[in-house]
Amino acid sequence: MKNKNWVNLFIAILLYIPMGFLQVNIDYRRKLEDLEARLLLMPGQVAGSLVLGGFRGVAADLLWLNIEDLWHHGHTHKLLPLFESVAWLQPRYITVWAVGGWHMAYNIYATLEDEKEKKYWYEQGVSFLKKGIAYNPEQYDLYFELGWTYYNKGEDYSNAVKYLEKAVKFPAPDYVKSLLAHAYENNEQVDEAVQQWTKVLDTGFKPIAQRALISLKTDGAFTPKRRTRLGLDKET
Amino acid sequence: MGKVWVIASNTFREALRKKTLYILLVVALVAIGTSRFFSFLAAQDELKMIKDVSFATIEFFGAILAIFTAIGAVSGEIEKKTIYTLLSKPITRRNFILGKFVGQSLIILLNAVLISLFFIGLLISKKAVPDIEIYKSLLLIYVELLMIGSITLAVATFATDAFNIIFSFFLFIVGNLTVYFKQLVDRTENIVFKGLGEMVRTVIPNYENFNIRDQVVVGVSVSWKYIGQTTLYGLIYITIAVLIGIYFFQKREV
Repeated sequence: MKNKNWVNLFIAILLYIPMGFLQVNIDYRRKLEDLEARLLLMPGQVAGSLVLGGFRGVAADLLWLNIEDLWHHGHTHKLLPLFESVAWLQPRYITVWAVGGWHMAYNIYATLEDEKEKKYWYEQGVSFLKKGIAYNPEQYDLYFELGWTYYNKGEDYSNAVKYLEKAVKFPAPDYVKSLLAHAYENNEQVDEAVQQWTKVLDTGFKPIAQRALISLKTDGAFTPKRRTRLGLDKET
Repeated sequence: MGKVWVIASNTFREALRKKTLYILLVVALVAIGTSRFFSFLAAQDELKMIKDVSFATIEFFGAILAIFTAIGAVSGEIEKKTIYTLLSKPITRRNFILGKFVGQSLIILLNAVLISLFFIGLLISKKAVPDIEIYKSLLLIYVELLMIGSITLAVATFATDAFNIIFSFFLFIVGNLTVYFKQLVDRTENIVFKGLGEMVRTVIPNYENFNIRDQVVVGVSVSWKYIGQTTLYGLIYITIAVLIGIYFFQKREV
């Protein structure tokens, strides 16, 4: 009986060998499937202790509630480290990148008077969205957000085209496809705009696509901004 | 096998009689229920919070239940002196430990299933049909809880209850911190410390392996290969813990 008992301990120790190999495989898969947790050193408070307990999701949620609270009280600048923290804790949480980029490029931008400062926050928003894309490259969402920010806020149409072209490579709503057509036109790629509107004919944006194609074929312009630029419409 | 089942069903019935299970269950359900207060958020954010809170609750309260059920499994029988009757019958000590483990696994399962059903019901009430990823995460949490229970049971065969409580909670926290430990080991250049570090990391239960919920709540898909490997890891660790438990219980003077 006594000898047999040693077998239990021996088998237990022996089992650590396959388990060690298995752990190497698991580590590899965690890296491959982007399941690895990231180290958070700031900000401490409640979030810090929860992260240590393995409850990163709840920690990220508490920080997100903090963001909501600060936003509604108008403390826009205090939001930034919180956005970084939530994004760091859960980098696949697309909303935080999208909302963070929007806050920087739009909301903080709108509160400023100085043009240099405005430019700075617009670039911060763009850079935050690009960082988000690095973590989430296989979904249309952040390509669209960045494309829209370039198109609408920066009026940087070549970059808008660049990112919207990437967005439409993934399953995306119809408005993404129609925005790309607008971006092509504003970037003076009228032929590409016509081709894109033709594709949009198969979507829920068909009536707009039909008007756009007629307008482009008759006047060579459709989007209000470009029509104004070309002197086809008066500026409103 | 029949003898193991007798011990298992007794352990299960005994655990059902204790108030701990019901108190933990009610607190866990209340904790999950409070996530409904996040309805002021956008629908997508609210769902994410419900999932985050629910997964954390299932794991945390499940761990408490696993630890307390396993702690009382051996010492309770000794205190009540029922162990003398049990072991004088043709029940081996191996059967006793195996039976205790199966019994506590069933009670952990019952608890996890009840809380999970409430969680899934909450999701459905929000018109969000739970996808397969949710079930994958729940499965891994259950394997993790079995691991916690088996380790606590193994320690219960040779240590006091007070030591076991502290040790098991300490291991629960440390097991969730292995990612930080790995980063430290990876940065170490000294080959001896690196080797020692890897060895320690293998011995410590790596509960972080079972954490896929941070990805699942934001809609990321986790491969079945990963689920399979991690489940196998858990089963091997459970086997090790049960064998160690049997070894020490055979040596123990009752």
